[in-house]
Amino acid sequence: MVLCAIQAILSYFRGSGPSSTHTRQDPIDYLGLFVILRFMAKFVDINDSKYPTLLKNIPNPPKILYYKGEWGSEIFENCLAVVGSRKMTSYGTQIVQRLVMEIASRGVTIVSGFMSGVDAQAHKIALDAGGKTIAVMPCGIDLIHPGNQKELYNRILGSGGLILSEYEGRELPQLWTYPKRNRIVAGLSKSALVIEAALGSGSLITADYACKFNRSVFAVPGSILSSVSAGTLNLIKTGKAKMVTEVEDVLSVFSDMLFKHPSDTPFCAHSHPKRSEGREHTEGVSRAVLDLLESEPLNIDELSRETQITPDILGFTITTMLLDGTLSEEKGRYYVS
Amino acid sequence: MLVKVNSAANYGIKTVRVDVEVNVASKGFPTFDIVGLPDKAVAESKERVKTAIQNSGLDFPDKKITVNLAPADLPKEGSFYDLPIAVGIISALTGFEVPKKFIFYGELSLDGGLRHTKGSLLISMFAKENGFDGVYMPFDCANEAGIVSEVILYPTRNIESLYRHLMGELGVIEVFSRKEIDFSFEPTVNGFDMSEILGQEQAKRALEIAAAGGHNTLLLGPPGGGKTMLAKALPTILPPLSDEEALEVTKIHSAAGVIPPGGSLIRERQCKSPHHTISYAGLIGGGTYPKPGEISLAHRGVLFLDEFAEFPRYVLETLRQPMEDGIISISRSSGSVTFPSRFILIAASNPCPCGYFGHPKKSCSCSEYQIERYRKKISGPILDRIDLHVDVRPVEIADLNINSQFSNRKVQTSKEIREKVIRARKIQEERFKVENILAQKEKYSKIFTNTEMKNKHLSKYCTLSPEVDNLLKRAVVKFNLSARAYFKIIKVARTIADLSGGEQIGVEDMGEALQYRVR
Repeated sequence: MVLCAIQAILSYFRGSGPSSTHTRQDPIDYLGLFVILRFMAKFVDINDSKYPTLLKNIPNPPKILYYKGEWGSEIFENCLAVVGSRKMTSYGTQIVQRLVMEIASRGVTIVSGFMSGVDAQAHKIALDAGGKTIAVMPCGIDLIHPGNQKELYNRILGSGGLILSEYEGRELPQLWTYPKRNRIVAGLSKSALVIEAALGSGSLITADYACKFNRSVFAVPGSILSSVSAGTLNLIKTGKAKMVTEVEDVLSVFSDMLFKHPSDTPFCAHSHPKRSEGREHTEGVSRAVLDLLESEPLNIDELSRETQITPDILGFTITTMLLDGTLSEEKGRYYVS
Repeated sequence: MLVKVNSAANYGIKTVRVDVEVNVASKGFPTFDIVGLPDKAVAESKERVKTAIQNSGLDFPDKKITVNLAPADLPKEGSFYDLPIAVGIISALTGFEVPKKFIFYGELSLDGGLRHTKGSLLISMFAKENGFDGVYMPFDCANEAGIVSEVILYPTRNIESLYRHLMGELGVIEVFSRKEIDFSFEPTVNGFDMSEILGQEQAKRALEIAAAGGHNTLLLGPPGGGKTMLAKALPTILPPLSDEEALEVTKIHSAAGVIPPGGSLIRERQCKSPHHTISYAGLIGGGTYPKPGEISLAHRGVLFLDEFAEFPRYVLETLRQPMEDGIISISRSSGSVTFPSRFILIAASNPCPCGYFGHPKKSCSCSEYQIERYRKKISGPILDRIDLHVDVRPVEIADLNINSQFSNRKVQTSKEIREKVIRARKIQEERFKVENILAQKEKYSKIFTNTEMKNKHLSKYCTLSPEVDNLLKRAVVKFNLSARAYFKIIKVARTIADLSGGEQIGVEDMGEALQYRVR
């Protein structure tokens, strides 16, 4: 390949030299350039048979898809777009953990936009579950954006995932490339799942595209007090999205799934195996803490107030529960994991 | 006729002897010159001295007067040579004997009175150490200078009374009696009481630990959470200064000239909260003639830096050495000066530029990049020197109302916490007693609190049982803690154990200490 590229470069320059007998229209030159381009970044043309059918069917599919990773057609077979706010709350983290973990482990590819917050979390959890994931970038294929998620980027590529973009090189993301990217996210997927979204957020644009492309849209209900649940609740209210309360709601779209889990556990807080297991082993303080956290995530001050236990004793209990994995922490709030 | 008067000058918190030589020549044009590298304030003392003598009912001689401040190569600053110069001139005129074993020190007012002059404590300490019998100083300075025993102080109100006293008249100036100084300590209630702060249970506990072990603390949280209130309440739970500490603190304040007229020994821990527009010289000290900065004025007390991330980075970086060593050396062309600066740093910051990142209700309007950039304003080395990291979360109004319903619930007052802190500090004092005797021999700085422990002390005083060690090791893996954070947590656990009176660090202590890890 390298040799071929060098040969092509040499022939290209020879071709453009004044003493050359070749002209620029020489077919060898075009081949050479082609090789160089392919060597730098891989891409799939819209006329290529490898081009995902679902994406081809949308009104304005990208002409060329640049990609990183190994292209395989099976990765595009069962895609679910998981999108949501960049400012994810602990509730969002919990939801992604429980829904996406289950969905990805059943072989559904998780497609998202590689932004911080819900997007990144969805990619991460999909990888944790041993599933496949596709990240669609709003920028040139050679750019990692946002740059602080390099680790995740490499993890996606390392576990058979794909990085896609319709832009070449190191082009910077622009305000208008984000919604265009969302169109690809929606276009690739059979269905879209909105975890948390504020009113007017980019995730709603993805949901809109999914609607337009006749894909089913799901939204997770949230507290009516939370600003990042306002968008999702609105989707449900206006009938654009179906409400999700358990994994099966989403999986019903992928009914032709390759395999089914033997135990069809519905997604519900009370049946989480780890937690009930933890309860048997813990006593007194930790039981009181678990009882409170069952209904909503709380910070240590609130726990102290509710349980009437001083923060020094509570601090020790929470640390041990964090280390046991009984609890998780997100922005100072604890919840049962 | 030549007259020699003893005086002294303060450089930082060091004092050097200055001889004031006054010559009133019988020949020559009437002039008045001061030599010996005087600065503007010293040069202007000519006018003050001349007018003050005239207004005291004495004649100012129309002769050639030359004043030399020896050693001549040392730059002189300040107004405290007024009195020795005036005494020298009057002595040359009237012929009384200037007391050989006494220091003269003070600034003159135009009416002949003596004004409050900074640094009088340092002068009386110098007098005691260098075999002088006593000091003549302004009346307002006597309380401050009188802290030092075995030095005769003549609190002087004006030149006229001093003249009569030196001429041998009795009962004009009485020797200062130390009984007039009030050494008792009554904690003033200028801060908030801890019981006044609603909610913030964990943050209050963290401050209790900070006070007991001298740990630096970072309070992170959205506006309106009560960070400032918490920091202001911290001095109310700190133990009073010991005699040794009080003298150290008073010396620095004396050098800075911030002790008010009539003020005396400082028994209360100081809390300094400079605004974030402070210059580095204001923070760590500086100037042509270096003066102590806020960190030295907060010595053995609290330095509260609100809006920590808003401080210019180069200003914060200057804190590194003083936070590590407890002293700050300031070198200028006029010389190098060292001030003590062992303080508890309480830093408060918002989590992001808009302040609402992680707020349960309000949404944050900052981009990921902005938040990251804001966090990066506080450098790693500074964060490394902070032991306790505490999230201060906003308290819901609804919770406050609920709280008031349970008003019978026990909320600790500052006094109760202070007693616990004092007990914990006693344990530490005992622990480091042997260490400090060694330190004196080897000229190391003394250890008073757990946070000052070096790694060699950790292995000596903080042995971990296998159970505790296991807990900590698991936490290191789970929370991805650095080696420095590891040692910090052990120190914090030691303080928590001291608070509960435990000989060994228990699992509970370690478990709680891990709550205050870097996040």
